[in-house]
Amino acid sequence: MDLIDQLREIVGERGSAAPSERLCYSSDASQVKGLPDCVVRPMSTEEVSMVVALAAELGVPVTARGAGTGLAGGAVAVRGGIVLDMSGMNRILEMDLANLQVIVEPGVVQLKLNEALKPHGFFFPPDPGSSAVCTIGGLIANNGSGMRCVKYGTTRNYVLDLEVVLADGRVIRTGSRMLKSAAGYDLTRLMIGSEGTLGIITRAGLRVVPLPKARRLVMASFDDAETAGRAVAKTFASGIVPSACEILDRTTVQVLRRCDPNLVLPEGDVILFEVDGTERSTEESAQEIARVCSPIAAEVVSASGEKEMEEIWEARRLVGAAISRLDPTKSRIYVGEDVGVPIKKIPALIREIGEISERFDLPAMKYGHIGDGNLHVALFIDVLDDDEWARLASAADAIHRAAIRLGGTVSSEHGIGAARAEYMAEQLGEGTLSVMRAIKRALDPKGILNPGKLGLDESPSSGGER
Amino acid sequence: MSETKIEMKIDPRAIEICVRCGTCRSVCPAFEVLGWESQNTRGRIMIAKALREGLAPDSDVLDSLNTCTTCGICAAKCPAGANPPVIVQEARRNLVSRGFMTEAQAGFRTKVNASGNTFGEKADRLGWLSDPSGLKDKSDYVYFVGCLDSYRYPEVALKTFDLLKRFGVTLLPDEVCCGSPLIRTGSEAGRFVDKNLDQIKRIGAKTVITGCAGCYSTLKKDYPPDFEVLSVPEFLAEHLSELDLKRLDMSVTYHDPCHLGRHNGIYDPPRTVIKSICRLVEMKANRENARCCGGGGGVRAGYPDLSLKIAKRRLLDVPSGVDAIVSCCPLCIRNLRDAGSEIEVIDLVDLVERAMKSV
Repeated sequence: MDLIDQLREIVGERGSAAPSERLCYSSDASQVKGLPDCVVRPMSTEEVSMVVALAAELGVPVTARGAGTGLAGGAVAVRGGIVLDMSGMNRILEMDLANLQVIVEPGVVQLKLNEALKPHGFFFPPDPGSSAVCTIGGLIANNGSGMRCVKYGTTRNYVLDLEVVLADGRVIRTGSRMLKSAAGYDLTRLMIGSEGTLGIITRAGLRVVPLPKARRLVMASFDDAETAGRAVAKTFASGIVPSACEILDRTTVQVLRRCDPNLVLPEGDVILFEVDGTERSTEESAQEIARVCSPIAAEVVSASGEKEMEEIWEARRLVGAAISRLDPTKSRIYVGEDVGVPIKKIPALIREIGEISERFDLPAMKYGHIGDGNLHVALFIDVLDDDEWARLASAADAIHRAAIRLGGTVSSEHGIGAARAEYMAEQLGEGTLSVMRAIKRALDPKGILNPGKLGLDESPSSGGER
Repeated sequence: MSETKIEMKIDPRAIEICVRCGTCRSVCPAFEVLGWESQNTRGRIMIAKALREGLAPDSDVLDSLNTCTTCGICAAKCPAGANPPVIVQEARRNLVSRGFMTEAQAGFRTKVNASGNTFGEKADRLGWLSDPSGLKDKSDYVYFVGCLDSYRYPEVALKTFDLLKRFGVTLLPDEVCCGSPLIRTGSEAGRFVDKNLDQIKRIGAKTVITGCAGCYSTLKKDYPPDFEVLSVPEFLAEHLSELDLKRLDMSVTYHDPCHLGRHNGIYDPPRTVIKSICRLVEMKANRENARCCGGGGGVRAGYPDLSLKIAKRRLLDVPSGVDAIVSCCPLCIRNLRDAGSEIEVIDLVDLVERAMKSV
């Protein structure tokens, strides 16, 4: 019996081997490609367990996928096999707010969860740019985060418990409803950021926190990115922990202003400082930020209200792909887009990226979470120009190596997947990587769970890049 | 991959502009019901691209492309500025021209071509008009009725014409389908365009007025720009002071038809007319964010179950306590009614007529 027929005995019509369906699941938002043999849309833990048990029996790879918004090919079946589309398991199972937590299925979309929490005065803080689309399962598997992690931390800080289907189909729980626990290995954290290589997440207990009563946004512009970096350091030193601290370089600011001429943004290299708390505390913090930045800033302005603030954040969230709106011959290609360095090194990183952009003659927007050292570099090319593709690959490689050289990481929040697998040994060291490989062998001896990712293969990974 | 490469006459950049970020997953109404990537905008663009590279146009490919209602909410939300409905329509056209289409598409095409209307009706298109003899041969204005109001909602056609004729508006003596259903589903409609155009010219009309969002979009974008096109709500909003409307003690909500709203930017005129008559309470998603009724793009004809599920989802946006859902497109009205709306769904001209009768 064909694989698809066996899968259909488990999931019925929610299994497909149609060429067009396989094609649609052959990539995410990265350049990594890999054609699955079958796509399955499970609706329960039992179905996931049965599919994985079947895959284990047959030795077929299984790759879990949420909304497919990933930027590193984490959800792409680079070795074929089965793609498990988990986005249909999208129920919020329990709002246990007395215990400050919610129990959800992995396909719940981040924004939907927050819409459900808002009337109760709570929120789930990790807020990637893709929050309207991305799933909680994908966030957990990649330890995703966003603008507010400078204060609230990443997804890792909000997962209390996971239900996981292991590589042989067994189902385990990794934690409990306790906000803290000192019982044994922290398997919850082991699963977070494991990108589907150790198990398939089928349920999650998440810690949620009260919504702040007030938020304020202060925007400061500077003559250059290095001065902007100094302003951030001074702000932290003054004892303020902003709820977001974003840098938009002047190119990014120009793009945003041209996309929406009504947007209130100063010119130059801009830092957006958001503070949250009470009306009074945010007012004090906003004043303090203005006081600290003013001596070195070209301009310091405050957003006038909630609406103006939301417009700026909305524009910021979607800036990644917006370049094509200005120049239809240029497309944003997500490579080298998620490096991070210790925050003190941000000016050095910005300088190096400027040089790389010049050396390879590729325009670059630089924006990101300067408060935690995570810089998003947006490179644009004409996708019909092969030479530009080649220069793009070289530029991305140079950016990754620069981040490692500065003591940083090739991925701060998007994940390693296949796109960045080749840098794992260089960034972590062979010793560390060998421990990861040992864990992988112990939990997935047949190597069926998302093979070709995280640099775990003993032989150099075949990334499947364009 | 097949030997047949589909010649896609479409700028490759229009496809390449999609960065596959997946934002469309949060809005595509067909995807929300069906759940497969192939039935979301991103998947459709990947398929359109692959067709150029030799993907065989099998039934799954046809279902992917044909479950799009062309509502355009993906285009409104796309951070990269892609225009997916244009790509989908172009892909359909290329496939149909090479003989690849669903049975529903083929049947629909045969029916429209044979009868000149979307229903295959043989009856007189002007049957709703009690006395066609007094129609003016020459006028600056023509009322283009459309298939739906001509054959399914003749009372709306009559009310609309009663409103318009006092301004000297006349009718085409031998109106045929505007061509929209054919064009949206990938077929040629030149014959219909020519026949209507010829009559518009003979009448000497400078302005064509229509009460159907689909006809409006087609007359505006698929006909030569030889005349101005006005929607009924635009015309009514312009002539509000001449209509002598009384206020009604009721609340209504307004459903934006995709082809009036997102495709043509007509949001305010219907609201102006409604607010001059009664209270307007907006739907949960409105204007640029309005959700599709599920009827357009050939989906009602080709995938009736999907179409009704999308309509039912749209009904969840209706605010509580309203007395009616008003719209300006007979296809939207029909689909929302068929989806079992408990609140009456009426045309804007129904509301206007009530306000004129009221004392």
